[in-house]
Amino acid sequence: MDFGSFLATPEIKIKIVTYRDIFQDKAMIENRFGEEYRNLSAVIKLDPADLKQLAVKKGDTVILKNSFGRVVVKAEESGYETPHRGIAYMPNSPWSNMLVSDETGGKGVPKFKDISVTATSAKGEKVTETEFF
Amino acid sequence: MEKNYYVCTGCGLLCDDIEVESEKDIINKVYTACRVGVAHMKEGKEEATFLVDNKPVDEAKAINEAASILKNAKNPLIFGLGTSTNEAQKLAIELAKKINATLDDTSSYCLGSVVEAVVNNKVKTCTLDDVRNKGDVVIFWGSDPADSHPRHLSKHSYFPRGKEKQRGWEEDRTAIAIDIRKSHTAKICGNYFFQIPQGGDAEFIDALIAGLSGKLPKTSYNYPPKKILELTNILKGAKFGIVFVGLGLVYSLENLEPLLRLMKALNEKANFHLVPMVGHYNMRGFNENLFAETGYVNSVKFENGIVKHGPEFSTVESIKAKTVDAALIIGSDPLSSLPRSIAKNLLGIPVILLDPCKTLTSKNAKVYINTAISGVESGGSATRMDGILVNFKPIVETKHPSDETVLMKIMEAL
Repeated sequence: MDFGSFLATPEIKIKIVTYRDIFQDKAMIENRFGEEYRNLSAVIKLDPADLKQLAVKKGDTVILKNSFGRVVVKAEESGYETPHRGIAYMPNSPWSNMLVSDETGGKGVPKFKDISVTATSAKGEKVTETEFF
Repeated sequence: MEKNYYVCTGCGLLCDDIEVESEKDIINKVYTACRVGVAHMKEGKEEATFLVDNKPVDEAKAINEAASILKNAKNPLIFGLGTSTNEAQKLAIELAKKINATLDDTSSYCLGSVVEAVVNNKVKTCTLDDVRNKGDVVIFWGSDPADSHPRHLSKHSYFPRGKEKQRGWEEDRTAIAIDIRKSHTAKICGNYFFQIPQGGDAEFIDALIAGLSGKLPKTSYNYPPKKILELTNILKGAKFGIVFVGLGLVYSLENLEPLLRLMKALNEKANFHLVPMVGHYNMRGFNENLFAETGYVNSVKFENGIVKHGPEFSTVESIKAKTVDAALIIGSDPLSSLPRSIAKNLLGIPVILLDPCKTLTSKNAKVYINTAISGVESGGSATRMDGILVNFKPIVETKHPSDETVLMKIMEAL
């Protein structure tokens, strides 16, 4: 257990694996700026034990942060039977891409499916907008 | 009565058995297509749009502005084209040669290396029709067609009663998923789902090769050797096996060497083919068209008749290193789909975007042309994920110009 989890607002280290989702793909085609696409994209699917450690309930927002970006997304339970503490899943989207490293080793291939972040409760903060301001 | 079938350009499967009902150039009903395909074919659109600095202009103004940006650029990037026809792609290659551009598609950061191995005959491949008619052992490795290519399993790889596989999935086929998470496809594969840890693919390959040659398969993550040997026994018995390679596998490997070694080992004991799970409907077409022209599938830079190639000419590296000073993007949304830490550099250069959808990239483009949805509003040809050429006609008429038309006009204006 890392030190962060003892802080008043617990903070834990998470590795995010991204994936494709047919429902999210369909919502993207219909409207990339719509609510359905946002609801199906700006989510992180966590192990129940990680949700508990973060002191957040299903549907609460969490802050995901690393040196490349910071996003607020909704936390959900992954539903996988096999425990996967410290590993979480996000559909590939502009929200996950805000956290992807720019380190490519000169090969032209970013680590879209291997993102390290710290997660903490967003205490009601709203889901991040994807627009450039 | 002869039925009128259309092709769905929603993904790399290019399903050619789609029926639609339309009225006044609006598609009301789509039959046979998947959830994604129906959404794609019913994608409604507003009036034709030509924008410069987000303000409406006429077509001539937009084309001239685009031509002027490309003329003034020292090293423009032409990028995208995975959802363009072969005809538009060939024009884009011509344009890139004419203006000494860097040219790339999304394959440089997805499955380009696998397509490159296939077109260079480094590995045995087959068509989806072969899979349907003959496939008996089907491996989905780091791929999840239930989500990415929704009719893959029902039309080609698992459920159909193919010519030589009349007993279909119940008796004639074994579907295997190797993945780091239990995807929807992995659920369908049931007991033949092999869950490995993130980054554990190369070791699993080594373990399979060991198992195939009768050695004890070992992994640092202690995958049960008995399970690996059960799997290698199935693989050894394949009369027509296929490995459908997805991004999960490609991103996990440093390079393709372990995968090519596995394919060789599999073909020493059985009969195996590899098919890349190409997502965009004509990414493979772009790879093959550029290969025919230059000998490379992506990441090239034209310079006065000479072709340079390497990762430094990939979309990601050229945007990251700011080596390109303008971008012509066709059917791609890099501000959404690339890491923001890299894509933000696009905000510093003039971007011309040809795309049927309003996207984050269209909102930030200097010139935006709302083009026809190819396969729905414009016709042409494309190359299916397995290399089969597919021709398609438009389903409805539109005022929107096709990618091909716009590229032609930009070339004329140059």
